[in-house]
Amino acid sequence: MSITSPRTISIPVPGATLLEVEHLTVTFPTSAGPVEVVQDASFRVEAGDTLGIVGESGSGKSMTSLAIMGLLPRGGTATGSIRLNGHELLARSDREMRRVRGDKVAMVFQDPLSSLNPYYTVGRQIEEAYRAHNGGSRKNARNVTIEALERVRIADASRRVDHYPHQFSGGMRQRIMIAMALCLEPDLLIADEPTTALDVTVQAQILELLAELQRETGTGMIFITHDLAVVSQVADDVLVMKDGRQVERGTAEQIFSRPQAQYTRALLAALPRIDDPFDRLKGTS
Amino acid sequence: MLFYFARRILAAIGVLLLISLFTYAIFFLLSPDPAVQICGKTCTPERIDQIRSQLGLDLPFWQQYWQFLSGIFTGRTYGEGAAAIQCAAPCLGFSFQTNEPVTDMITTRMPVSITVAVGAAVLWMLAGIGGGLLSAVKQGTGWDRGVMMTALAGISLPNYFVALLLQYVLVVQLRWLPFPQSVQFAEDPLLWFQSYLMPWLVLAFGYAAMYSRIVRTNVIDTLGQNFMRTARAKGLDAPLVLRRHALRPSLTPVVTLFGMDFAGLLGGALITETVFGLNGVGKLTADSIAKNDQPVIMGVTLLAAGLVVIANMLVDVAYTYLDPRVRVKSA
Repeated sequence: MSITSPRTISIPVPGATLLEVEHLTVTFPTSAGPVEVVQDASFRVEAGDTLGIVGESGSGKSMTSLAIMGLLPRGGTATGSIRLNGHELLARSDREMRRVRGDKVAMVFQDPLSSLNPYYTVGRQIEEAYRAHNGGSRKNARNVTIEALERVRIADASRRVDHYPHQFSGGMRQRIMIAMALCLEPDLLIADEPTTALDVTVQAQILELLAELQRETGTGMIFITHDLAVVSQVADDVLVMKDGRQVERGTAEQIFSRPQAQYTRALLAALPRIDDPFDRLKGTS
Repeated sequence: MLFYFARRILAAIGVLLLISLFTYAIFFLLSPDPAVQICGKTCTPERIDQIRSQLGLDLPFWQQYWQFLSGIFTGRTYGEGAAAIQCAAPCLGFSFQTNEPVTDMITTRMPVSITVAVGAAVLWMLAGIGGGLLSAVKQGTGWDRGVMMTALAGISLPNYFVALLLQYVLVVQLRWLPFPQSVQFAEDPLLWFQSYLMPWLVLAFGYAAMYSRIVRTNVIDTLGQNFMRTARAKGLDAPLVLRRHALRPSLTPVVTLFGMDFAGLLGGALITETVFGLNGVGKLTADSIAKNDQPVIMGVTLLAAGLVVIANMLVDVAYTYLDPRVRVKSA
């Protein structure tokens, strides 16, 4: 995505399978025995496509994404298979996973303020990501960073690069997180509730930006959210999760027009509809 | 920024003035008449009156306070004529028990206290930060428990006990160290080092115990922050994540604490200096309290208060550099 990047840019073939997750189970030990927070999840992401993972809090959405990154919290173990471009990720050591993180798979988190280190300038935090994988001089990394900030439409990027996270608004911070994730041109971008902490107008801008960048770079995306309205805007395929299990999987069209599972129907029925003023909330369980 | 510093300095001066006023008031109101003490056993009421007027003790409180205060800046003369005693600026008073200006008494003992404080500070910062980090990173392991048990001991054991225990073990039983002596560094560097080693260790143990607990809590707290997850998600390796992203947020609050503790120690380590027979400001304080030498007690009280106020100011200034969030708000 950046012109000064010394790396050869491999444009992913649209429609080729980028990520293949099979029978993914994530287990945490508790005093009452092991608990499976994700049970037997299987899905795939095609290059250039977006998979929306939908579910309530605690449904295992975030754990699924952390398992792909190899960043499960202490004690968590993942079994099954996660293949990126045909290469198995679960068997890799932490050292090998480090080369995948950021470079092949990048992540954007929910709360951009707490996700940025308050002690360092945003420029330094983006440079750091770039240099961890590409090395090179700080000057080059800084140029890449400024370009990345311009791409996510931070005005006056060459000056703002030296500002600290608290000097930006919520929406701008999320743009910065996106710039950080995309400066390495990852094959897969995992966005974990990227718009939840933002107000609706800013949310729309961020979604638009993500879609635009995705079109330009051909990055595959996993978009995690509890917001069905957002999923309907961004996703090609949808995976619905509940209590760690996948309830339903299909194209966005299928899920929204012909939901099969009772839970999916209940979720959709819970959406407020503008054309039904006397709508009442229906049970979801 | 300049405005901020100027405001801080003005505030510090105000606090120092208030402290001097209160200290002076306490000594003025509560202490027995110094003139009676100076006069000794063969004393007549006329003699006491004479001493009182010589010392300015017959003046009203505000005038006495003013004399004391202006003495700090311009020096003052006690009495008149041939019997007059000069006290050069900065005059913190005059001890009629030792016949020395308080300022001189403090400045001759200051190097010892500085040596004690600096050596102890180096040790406790190393041990406290190192121990706290180790404990946090190896949370829940034997390392963690070991460090925290040691820290508990360091916090619970009073330092006069540790001092005596250390002296008994290292000097009397094992004979690893000679009995502490007051030597200058230039005279005998080895003996100098050996003499200061125990005071350093005793003081450092207590502080390191506290610091390691605080550092541990801070690091564990920082490790759980979202930006740590971001750092790992970038593909940084674990030591770099720890060094670059966890250390600074964890250690910045320690700066505040260090400023206060270090300044406090410069004002004299009362117990440790006394136990090891070190002739520092702490020992001077203990001695003058024992002899009820009021001008000296007041002098060291003001010194200690002044050091803490100055340290507090320096910490605030340092903070504006260490924490970008403070920096921008204050600008």
